[in-house]
Amino acid sequence: MLDPTKPRPSPGPGELGVTFEQPDARHALLVVDGEIDTLTAGSLERALTELLEDTSEVLVIDLSAVTFLASSGLAVLIRAAHQAGERRLRLVSTARAVRRPMEITGSDQLFDLYPDRAAALSPEE
Amino acid sequence: MSDWDSHPPGEPSVVEVRTSATAALIPTIRAVASDLAARADFDLDAISDLRMAVDEACATLVDVAAPASMLQCTFRVHAEHIEVHAHVHAGSADATVSTDTFGWRVLQTLADHVEALRQDSVVGADHAGPTVGIRLDKHAGMPPR
Repeated sequence: MLDPTKPRPSPGPGELGVTFEQPDARHALLVVDGEIDTLTAGSLERALTELLEDTSEVLVIDLSAVTFLASSGLAVLIRAAHQAGERRLRLVSTARAVRRPMEITGSDQLFDLYPDRAAALSPEE
Repeated sequence: MSDWDSHPPGEPSVVEVRTSATAALIPTIRAVASDLAARADFDLDAISDLRMAVDEACATLVDVAAPASMLQCTFRVHAEHIEVHAHVHAGSADATVSTDTFGWRVLQTLADHVEALRQDSVVGADHAGPTVGIRLDKHAGMPPR
């Protein structure tokens, strides 16, 4: 079973900050902070598993504070996108460290990408 | 180290990083890669790509490295590209760099050239397993893919 995650001020190397929020009845939000690599991909996977268990209509993953994304982390995100099925996952980030790996692998097609959290949480367009 | 201009033209600057072969030190190695690319005036996408490629290569090698062994990563900084050669002593005799993984496909996309290397242990060496490595090359920007 997962520990309830606590917000951490600034994760060190090998640590990933993961925080769950419920901004409103329709949205579940996972906020991730730090570097996603082979050291931390497991933490992300556990957090995503928990997010996918949420029955909210819209699942949002805020990666704005993620400063590195390795293929191990990308693989975890891609698996989550497949598991989410028709509930397309919304990702928040403008950082090159996140956008670039998604673009070059084409995995950006699996998600709805948003520049900021407010846009990702806004009512349906 | 920051003064590339003092170098004879055509000769690469060489930086070697040697660490324990553990995933915990890969952030340090990828930071070196990123720093070298930035100083060599790589464009921002190319810096990001090299950082990821080096991370990927090192993570692959650390996976097969013998316990308590070292990871060696050599950067050759040329005018328009950086060549990286990383290697470890593998733990088992049949160890090899797996090239049928998602990570390897990503590595191929990130780098302009990438190859897996393997050399059997020589008789009398202080390690039993083969030396396995990865060589990759990344251009400063807008490379023909």
